[in-house]
Amino acid sequence: MLAQQILNGLTLGGIYALIAVGYTMVYGIIQLINFAHGEIYMLGAFLALTALTALHLPFPVALLFGVACCALLGVAVDAVAYRPLRRAPRLSALITAIGVSIFLQNLARILWGARTKSFPDEVIPALFKATFVVGDVTVTALQVFILAVVLALMLTLRWIVLRTKMGRAMRACAQDLTCAQLMGVDVNRVVSFTFALGSALGAVAGVLIGVYYNAVYPLMGYRAGIKAFAAAVLGGIGNIPGAIAGAFILGAAEALGAAYVSSLYRDGIAYAIMILFILFKPTGIFGQRRETKV
Amino acid sequence: MRKGARVWIVALGVVGVLAGCGQQGPGGSIRIGVAGPFTGNAAAFGEMIRKGAELKRDTINAAGGIHGRPVELVFGDDVGDPKEASTVATKFATDRSIVAVVGHFNSSCSLAGKPIYKREGVVELSPGSTNVNVCVGSEWTFRNVYRDDFQGQFLARYVRQKLNLKRVAVFYDNDDYGIGLKNAFVEEAQRQGLEIVTAAAYTRETVDFKPELSSIKALNPDALFVSGLYNEAALITLQARQQGLTMQILGADGVFSPGYVQVAGKAAEGTLITTPFLFDAGGQDARDVLKKFKEKHKEDPDAWAALTYDAVGIIADAIAKVGPDRKAIRDHLASMSSPDKAYPGITGRTYFDANGDCVKPAYVSLIKDGRFTSAPIQMLE
Amino acid sequence: MRPRPRWLWTGAALFALTFPALVGFDAYVCHVAVLVLLYATLALGLNIVPGFTGLLDLGYVGFYAVGAYTAGLLSLAFGVSFWLALPLAALNGALWGVLRGAPTLRLTGDYFAIVTFGFSELVVMVAKNETWLTRGPMGLPGIPPPSALGASFRGELPFYYLILTVALLLIVVSRRIAASRVGRAWFAIREDEVAAEACGIDVARYKVTAFALSAAVGASAGAFYAHWITFISPGAFQFWESVLILCMIVLGGMGSVPGAVLGAVILVSLSEVLRSLLGQFGLPEDTRFIFFGLVMVLMMRFRPEGLLPVKATVKSER
Repeated sequence: MLAQQILNGLTLGGIYALIAVGYTMVYGIIQLINFAHGEIYMLGAFLALTALTALHLPFPVALLFGVACCALLGVAVDAVAYRPLRRAPRLSALITAIGVSIFLQNLARILWGARTKSFPDEVIPALFKATFVVGDVTVTALQVFILAVVLALMLTLRWIVLRTKMGRAMRACAQDLTCAQLMGVDVNRVVSFTFALGSALGAVAGVLIGVYYNAVYPLMGYRAGIKAFAAAVLGGIGNIPGAIAGAFILGAAEALGAAYVSSLYRDGIAYAIMILFILFKPTGIFGQRRETKV
Repeated sequence: MRKGARVWIVALGVVGVLAGCGQQGPGGSIRIGVAGPFTGNAAAFGEMIRKGAELKRDTINAAGGIHGRPVELVFGDDVGDPKEASTVATKFATDRSIVAVVGHFNSSCSLAGKPIYKREGVVELSPGSTNVNVCVGSEWTFRNVYRDDFQGQFLARYVRQKLNLKRVAVFYDNDDYGIGLKNAFVEEAQRQGLEIVTAAAYTRETVDFKPELSSIKALNPDALFVSGLYNEAALITLQARQQGLTMQILGADGVFSPGYVQVAGKAAEGTLITTPFLFDAGGQDARDVLKKFKEKHKEDPDAWAALTYDAVGIIADAIAKVGPDRKAIRDHLASMSSPDKAYPGITGRTYFDANGDCVKPAYVSLIKDGRFTSAPIQMLE
Repeated sequence: MRPRPRWLWTGAALFALTFPALVGFDAYVCHVAVLVLLYATLALGLNIVPGFTGLLDLGYVGFYAVGAYTAGLLSLAFGVSFWLALPLAALNGALWGVLRGAPTLRLTGDYFAIVTFGFSELVVMVAKNETWLTRGPMGLPGIPPPSALGASFRGELPFYYLILTVALLLIVVSRRIAASRVGRAWFAIREDEVAAEACGIDVARYKVTAFALSAAVGASAGAFYAHWITFISPGAFQFWESVLILCMIVLGGMGSVPGAVLGAVILVSLSEVLRSLLGQFGLPEDTRFIFFGLVMVLMMRFRPEGLLPVKATVKSER
């Protein structure tokens, strides 16, 4: 049974990882907690669902549709809401982010209704429904798929960040934005790219989770968002591998906590971990100390 | 100065708008309030309530209304949340043109509205609140649906006596409804010699039940009783089947909604659900209404549509007999205290006891081919 | 603070005092008026932390809940009268404000905001899950309304005047504090914390005072709420409330006392109007929040100092 719980936890962690990297990348470069990121994840799920049910696109196409739309949306949100406030006090930017988050959430409610929607049986690829038993653990093909996708995307992300010119620019901006600008980096382009990338990953997470639980609802972004953010903090905000590690740890903690301690406080586990880390080790497990120069 | 003027204009505008909000509706029609979760987690119920109420209203108005006056329904959305419910209740109760209120649906909402309706003196007739405390302590609150203590006990007896199962796991929603129902079930189960292997709570809007289900799987019960609403029940069912749990799944009236089948899909097959009403088991009247509903909405009505249909009917019937007066309506309902004074609706003969509670039999529904059919084994006591 | 013509204040006060009569004692309108004043109180309380110290408090609803449950439980379990429950709730709120605030003194804006958010979520979670204490989602029904001079409060009028008194008191106190040494210290902290410390201001002490005061106000509002609605449940204390109150002070101008009141008036009235309007269009009433989100974004973009800003700091906002 423990093995089953761990599997559940890892799958959950994988999803959180996809969302957490989005938070951590944006924060690393412009020091903004993008509250609206959770909503992008949610919209990814809804858009894919609509593509599947209303436009009758096949699953992979619907997934790409959701991802593309969300990438564009992420860039748009930055351009419209965050970029004008790049030099404004942090408080303003944070409030704007909250405003965008609420706006998107309620937009989803207006467009799709507040009720939980599910993927009709027919549109889910048959491949996902297969289950096989390993010892006393029941594994669904979907779980395997999720973990595989997460691994693939993480490797791709690593390649982008470490081996491409854009990746180098991102790292430069994360280290010192003003300096990077002075060195000729087009900061706006880098930021847009970061948003697009983070949003795309978030959208994938949204679709996968939507199918995994067969539940898509406007508030899903809010809940997952906070947990993913906690994961990012846990791993050291601004640190991508840290965020991934943090996400898996959080996912496992949540699954095990829900099973063995109290299922009612499962969300509380994320919050408690987040608060404790912020208070006592804000740089997270892997982060470096950032000195505030006066 | 300009700033000051701006403040005044806003303030005056606000007063004007608000004053306008409290106005009366068009004269001539009889206004009945309908409060329910038209949006939010319980929205599937709200939709059925709305459709059931509208169908009855249209039927009444097509026949000329009540003594020539048409019936007008005023809908108040409580979102399934007690705080919203108290706002809706205040709005309804203080609007003197509303002569009675059909609602609320969620037990917590009816409970929240109760003191307000009592204070202002307007009838609250719930077609769906099953918590035991709903009608206690107020002579203005009634319901035409059974209570959870009855329902929980019924289900426990049914499981033990009719299904012959010995070990049950209970998974309950941590609110009035879920806890009340679970308590009744567990108490009766103990009396019946039915073993409760575990009783675990969940919070509304949880989506991931896999950890708890894995624990339940290890205990290997014969059945799983989900004491909660259809959304979570559907996800629990779906995830249970995915994890390889094959035992019988049971639900109560909170699960009796098309929303359950929509979300759980094939996993819902074979679920047994207790319900205050089954169209299959109803009389000719019920079948006529079923037909009309299906023609209009292209879908089957559920128990809630039927109960709301009747609730509106009860109020309309009272108004026809004693006039559109709040107190007279209440007195009339209170006087319906025995089977011969009952209201003959499609859900059976409705009459009220001293508290305002109502005695109705419970039916068991089986989900077959995605539809709520009458279970082959019933237990009509 | 910029002095405003006296006739404006007397006019406003008179308007507020006679408001119920002006609307024909309509119970629904008075109910909304009480709601407006309740939110104005909350806005004024929230104003203290972001407004005066520049830190964003995203978890104000946590104190609101603490106050409501403290007062509610005291009344229900021990029969404590409202007039005693209110100060006790305020004290409890202040206590939690300090407990939450003390460990967070070193945190920068973003992290502080997140911790406040997490804290309030945990408070609500405890309220929801610890059924033995709070009856969980079933809530606490039947909280007795306050009584004065032997009679208990009936209808909206007594509550209206009660909350009006509280709000007016708060306005007066806020303005005096803002003009006092404590207020100046807070503004200094808000403008530049490091410089303030360098000038000899005991930043820690002033911050903690701000937290305690803000929390106490929130808790008092909660106590009022509990005895007014007579029914509280965790569902009444969701994150949205924190956001809504934040939106009010953003709209009115953070740190501005008349701004907080104006923000409350506009947003609560707008909320009620939207509620019925959206219902007519068949849209869920909760979607009125989309406007609040828009308000926040637009305000931060075009008028971050708010509608009735505190003049002294407008220049340095950009």
